[in-house]
Amino acid sequence: MTAATIQRNRPSGFRISKRVLPYLLSLPALLVCIGILIPFLTSVVYSFQRYRLSQPWARQFNWGDNYISFFTDPKFWNTLEISLLYAGITVVLELLLGLGIAMLLQKRSTLNNFISIMLLMPLMTAPALAALMWKLMTNPGFGVLSYLASLIGLQDFRWASSPSTALLTVVLVDIWVYTPFIMILLLAGLRSLPTQPFEAAALDGVPRSFVFFRITLPMLTPYILTATLFRLLDSIQQFDIIYAMTQGGPGDTLTVFQVEAYLNFFQSTNVGRSAALMIILWAITYFLSNIFIKNWLRLRERARGHA
Amino acid sequence: MASLELRNIVKRYKSQTVLDNLSLTVADGETLVLFGPSGAGKTVLLRLVAGVIDPDEGKILIGGEDMTDVDAEFRGVGMAFQNFALFPHMTAFDNIATPLQAKHSSQGTIKAGVESVGKLLKIGHVLSHKPRALSNGQKQRTALARALVGSPPLLLLDDPLRNVDAKLRFEMRLELPRLLADRGATVVYVTQDYKEAMALGDRIAVMSQGVVKQLGTPEQIYREPANVEIARLFGDPTINLLDVKPSRDAKGVYVGLSNVQVHLAGAHEAAVGRDCVIGLRPEALAFVDEGTSGAIPVTVEAETPLNEKIVTLVRTVRGREILVSRPSGIPGQSEGRAHIAVDSKSALLFDRASGERIGSKNVVNLRSGEAA
Amino acid sequence: MEHTSLLERILRGIALALVVIFFMFPIVWILMMSFQTNETILRIPPQLVFEPTLANYTALITGKLMTAAGTLDIAFMRNLWNSVFLSVTSVAVALLLGVPAAYAFARHKFRGSEDIAFTLLSFRFAPALLVLLPLTLYFQKLGLANTYIGLIWVYQLICLPLILWIVRGYFEDIPADIEYAYRIAGHSWFATFRKIALPLAGPGIAAAGLLAFIFAWNNFVFALVLASADKQPVTVGALAFITSSGIQYGQISAAIVLSITPTLALALYAQRYLVEGLSLGAVKG
Repeated sequence: MTAATIQRNRPSGFRISKRVLPYLLSLPALLVCIGILIPFLTSVVYSFQRYRLSQPWARQFNWGDNYISFFTDPKFWNTLEISLLYAGITVVLELLLGLGIAMLLQKRSTLNNFISIMLLMPLMTAPALAALMWKLMTNPGFGVLSYLASLIGLQDFRWASSPSTALLTVVLVDIWVYTPFIMILLLAGLRSLPTQPFEAAALDGVPRSFVFFRITLPMLTPYILTATLFRLLDSIQQFDIIYAMTQGGPGDTLTVFQVEAYLNFFQSTNVGRSAALMIILWAITYFLSNIFIKNWLRLRERARGHA
Repeated sequence: MASLELRNIVKRYKSQTVLDNLSLTVADGETLVLFGPSGAGKTVLLRLVAGVIDPDEGKILIGGEDMTDVDAEFRGVGMAFQNFALFPHMTAFDNIATPLQAKHSSQGTIKAGVESVGKLLKIGHVLSHKPRALSNGQKQRTALARALVGSPPLLLLDDPLRNVDAKLRFEMRLELPRLLADRGATVVYVTQDYKEAMALGDRIAVMSQGVVKQLGTPEQIYREPANVEIARLFGDPTINLLDVKPSRDAKGVYVGLSNVQVHLAGAHEAAVGRDCVIGLRPEALAFVDEGTSGAIPVTVEAETPLNEKIVTLVRTVRGREILVSRPSGIPGQSEGRAHIAVDSKSALLFDRASGERIGSKNVVNLRSGEAA
Repeated sequence: MEHTSLLERILRGIALALVVIFFMFPIVWILMMSFQTNETILRIPPQLVFEPTLANYTALITGKLMTAAGTLDIAFMRNLWNSVFLSVTSVAVALLLGVPAAYAFARHKFRGSEDIAFTLLSFRFAPALLVLLPLTLYFQKLGLANTYIGLIWVYQLICLPLILWIVRGYFEDIPADIEYAYRIAGHSWFATFRKIALPLAGPGIAAAGLLAFIFAWNNFVFALVLASADKQPVTVGALAFITSSGIQYGQISAAIVLSITPTLALALYAQRYLVEGLSLGAVKG
């Protein structure tokens, strides 16, 4: 063994790159960030302007007018109401259904695993295409669901084309697509729960309802919260299903936020109003997502802690 | 070869200071053991030397050359990790080969190098296995082989025996000193096991809360521990610690143990009249006949034969429990009443409030000598 | 928990059967329709037994739609190609940009790293149109409107946060010591990234890529706003197809089947990773 095996051929200036390296690596992501922030800020500016694509010469700042006009605008209140209603109904139903299915599939067996994999398929179907599938099935002429409805005495059930059942129809599609999401999350949660409390409860002969409400539900709460907020954030912004199914109609039955903004922009070319609508939706989702991210991080920490 | 010098190293994580103005020198070819409880900063220190984390202040010199700002791959050190840190997607052979590959050695050189170190560490037959197919002992030897294969002038071993079973640890404790001596490398060895520290270290640095509490040969650490804590950490069975208040008479400094005046040899003047703790190593106590001067009456509570020694638990008339150790084969007392005497030269006195040894010489700056 | 009565087992069985029927029926039904002629489709009551035909698929693949009024050109294959091209390229770009960034976020806690990561994550939850509507105006000015480049750039909105957050989790799961060991053995950070971090995070990167592909493929609103006919993917194309082809339900069904097959196949292939991916790695099992 010879002395001085230390390599001396180190490049000078390497030190600088070591400090800068992480920034260099994340620079592209940073640029994308900026590339998104610019249109976002533009939206904010638009929302304070009177801006119609059809009358570009009349573009000017009107400050809060777009927002103030919402207060007296029944269309806006309709949008707010239908968005909240849609989000509320879908999330509650999907949560109940998802929890139920997850509990049905909780025990690890070949059949249960197979079913839970099959249930991934609706979730992996593009929501817009899922809406088209249901549109075909609810076609008043030949749709199988229209036929089934007529069998149980609902002659001429119009599904999405009738104002009274349009919401029901899109909610049904939403449930079809997204219940598996909640189911999968809760199934993962259920299966990761420690078994001791349940074994102890079973030994002590504790009633099942008690076990469910006092042990299962509390232990599952972080998962339920994560799934709920995740879905709530998506659902209040739903566009694909509703637009593909009814374009917001019939009339303005289903003009939820994003659909209304889209129609305002492309049909009435009212950029200012469209932007203001989006800013309001953004404020709602920002509030929700802040709660969500905090909760999600806790869950992530926990999952990592167990690993 | 390479000496290692750390000058005024400070390392903080957030508001916590992990290493506090630490300076240390390891001579060329010396094996320095860093000993201390977890959280003392030992592992952080190794990583600083290896160059995978940077100090906030201070300098690191390897072979006299300032390496503080040099990246890990250019420092030319070898390191074995406590958790082995093997590359899970590579075979043992490829794991061990990585330092040679970095030097762009030829395939033949790599093969020869890996196989020779594999043979040395008795893992030649498992070189084609991936880490998950290796036993803990084989993993540990693979990690060691990877650190050794490039013949680095400076070896950093982070508690490599921590995660292996007792039998292997015993074997390796016998094997390692020879292995390291043969390499002639400078070694910094981290451990929490005092026996390992005593067996391997030319010198031992006892660390606690980011500072070196005592630095010296194993002999010095054992005979002249800087404080109660170090005295307690080194030695098995643990040192006996009794509260005393030394006094002085014509014959010199003495302490009262169970109404018996035990005179202490050595310079203990400073301890007179102070609240002290006396440290008596179990092997510094011996059974004696009644009537011997300084004999303390005790009752034998229990006797435990260990491999090479017999440990007896006795109780003084005041109810204090004391451990007495003697080599196997020396007759003693296994039950009933007995008397013990103190080897007065090896008694240690510590200040009760601070825990510091009274009359401690400044052992920190002692140059390494041959370990006894 | 094992003490289940017969009645309970029967009820469970019925419930499971209903669940499977509800979630599988639409897919099965559309699949069946895609093998039927328009005449059988329009028959009432709907037919469960029929003579299957491949005519719908042939029509789509050849791009010639035979109607009573004559031959009609259909561009559906073009849509399918657009979907493949847009999704594959977007994911490739997102991996190229996202994986190094994920590594930086995981390994170097540099100033502002958490802020950037969270900003990207919060875009995942922001309304798409908020960004898209101003973008259409910018794109027109920049000449990016209705170009693949423009679309791929916008698709990063979906792919990049997903890849960044999932892959970051996988990088964080690699013990730092393993990478340290490779550096100390004498290798550069880049070699360490390539030879240690990338292979070890490989499965995670693949999973994130697959998931990003599925999300890109299934996206609707981006292309609806930013692409015209010749650049549209299947999601938008199929909607246009329904309007233009009128009553060719067999072909529409076949088009839907072709459009959802790739994602379903991928989902089944990679189902193990989906749970992790869908929850951004929050519930690793």
